[in-house]
Amino acid sequence: MGDGFGSRAFRFSSRHVVTVLLLAPAAAVFFGLFVASLSFFFVQSFWKATTFRVVPDFRPFNYVDVIAGYGGPLLRTLSMGLIVASVTTMTAFFFAYVVRFSLGRFGPAALLVALTTLFGGYLVKIYAWRTILGADGIINSALLNLGLIDAPLPFLLFNLGAVVVTLTYYLLPLAILPLYGALSDIDETELAAARDMGAGALRTILDIVLPQARPALMASFALCFLLAAGDYVTPAMVGSPGNAMFGNFIQSQFGLRMNTPSGAAMSFTLIAACMIVLAAVGSGLRRWLQPR
Amino acid sequence: MSGAWLLPRVYALAVLAFLVLPLLLCVLFSFTTGNSAAFPIPSLGLGWYGRLAESPQFRAAAWTTAQITLGCGTAATAIGLATALGLERLSRRAAVLILLTLCLPLMAPPLVLGLSLLTFFNFIGLKLGVTATVLAHLLFTLPIVTSVLYARLSTMDKAALEAARDLGASPGRAFVTVTLPVIGPSLIGCMLIAMALSLDDFVIAFFTTGSNTLSTLIWGMMRTTLNPGINAVGSCIIAISVVITAVAFKFTRYRG
Repeated sequence: MGDGFGSRAFRFSSRHVVTVLLLAPAAAVFFGLFVASLSFFFVQSFWKATTFRVVPDFRPFNYVDVIAGYGGPLLRTLSMGLIVASVTTMTAFFFAYVVRFSLGRFGPAALLVALTTLFGGYLVKIYAWRTILGADGIINSALLNLGLIDAPLPFLLFNLGAVVVTLTYYLLPLAILPLYGALSDIDETELAAARDMGAGALRTILDIVLPQARPALMASFALCFLLAAGDYVTPAMVGSPGNAMFGNFIQSQFGLRMNTPSGAAMSFTLIAACMIVLAAVGSGLRRWLQPR
Repeated sequence: MSGAWLLPRVYALAVLAFLVLPLLLCVLFSFTTGNSAAFPIPSLGLGWYGRLAESPQFRAAAWTTAQITLGCGTAATAIGLATALGLERLSRRAAVLILLTLCLPLMAPPLVLGLSLLTFFNFIGLKLGVTATVLAHLLFTLPIVTSVLYARLSTMDKAALEAARDLGASPGRAFVTVTLPVIGPSLIGCMLIAMALSLDDFVIAFFTTGSNTLSTLIWGMMRTTLNPGINAVGSCIIAISVVITAVAFKFTRYRG
């Protein structure tokens, strides 16, 4: 073995050492915080909660208890998540489409305005809808003052509709972001060619635009679905008290009761159920949105 | 033909109105002199802001939030830069795979993330407070900062960097004199995005904070009373986020 090989091997490994050092902090955050805390949470989901503390145990029945006790709220939450994710993704897709292909030079300005609402403060947005829809809220007080109604409309707030509107409002800018990114990559000449050959606007969207934007559609849908199904603040603030969502039940395990095992088992049940729904939606989209 | 011209514009305006009006109303009601966020507004004034400025709870929460936001922005940018530089040295395939893995925390519902972090911090004996919240916020800010910086680094022209190295600059010097000026705007943009994301969060902060942040302060106010004081705190958050976001998009030259 000559010197040349030795020094090359040394340079090779020192290059690796630098790469590893650069990646180490991110690895520490990912494994030390994310993987470690979720793993510990998962392990706790098999433990046993006694009156005063949580003791290590192996109780897969925790999960059976969750399904038996909270199956109804779980289904309700998943349906609500599907509605919110569908409405939000469709609204966001058409907005991104219009910004990209129809608005011309106003497109970037419209996009910028939409994206400045990206971080308005999550709670502030929920509160805003509470003040808009409430009994002494903006809609009711405006209608009363105009003399159109005699008493506040009670059905605006504290129901599923209010939850869907508020969550859609919060998630819409998040859904626009990946969709616009995907649409800006689409070649306009391809669309012009389809039009020249006589395809209508709908045909073009269905056969060319949607299949090319499928990964972004899925990303937006998944993001909206997971955040909507996992949310507990919106249902608590604008939803109906009788129709609490799964997240509210998870959160209530951590109040006075501090039943970590039960809360953890509920959390992983929710994540697993969401993954099953998303896998089904993903394979459905793959089937329906074939490029033609 | 006019329908094809009109419809997209009406749709875009409707979506923008849906997105912007609620926030504008929230800001408008923060200037009311009345005791509720409702029409008619008796007159406009800064009364609710004055009450906030005098409130010790608000001052304490604003200080805690400032520490968390700045701490998270700085830490996410520093670690994100190191990570992006490290990814640049790998093959594109490996780098994308690592980036996608780093993005996994974005897919976990904040409630689950917050609760598992709370349980974990209690287990390892980390006191809840600013440090705990900054660490927790790194989970969802780091992947975004790293993605933007990696994209910027991989589209950067490498010729100047090679020229600097050929002329005898050390890797460190080449980085400071060539790479840093090019990616500088992206770095500032990323720091601002990380700060906006940290400011936006309530759920994870709620479970990991030791004292009130601005968002947990609003939560407390929402549960006890509904008065335009909430609008005033909310308007402060909206103003800071909108400025941060607009500047950040300008710096990272966001084009979708």
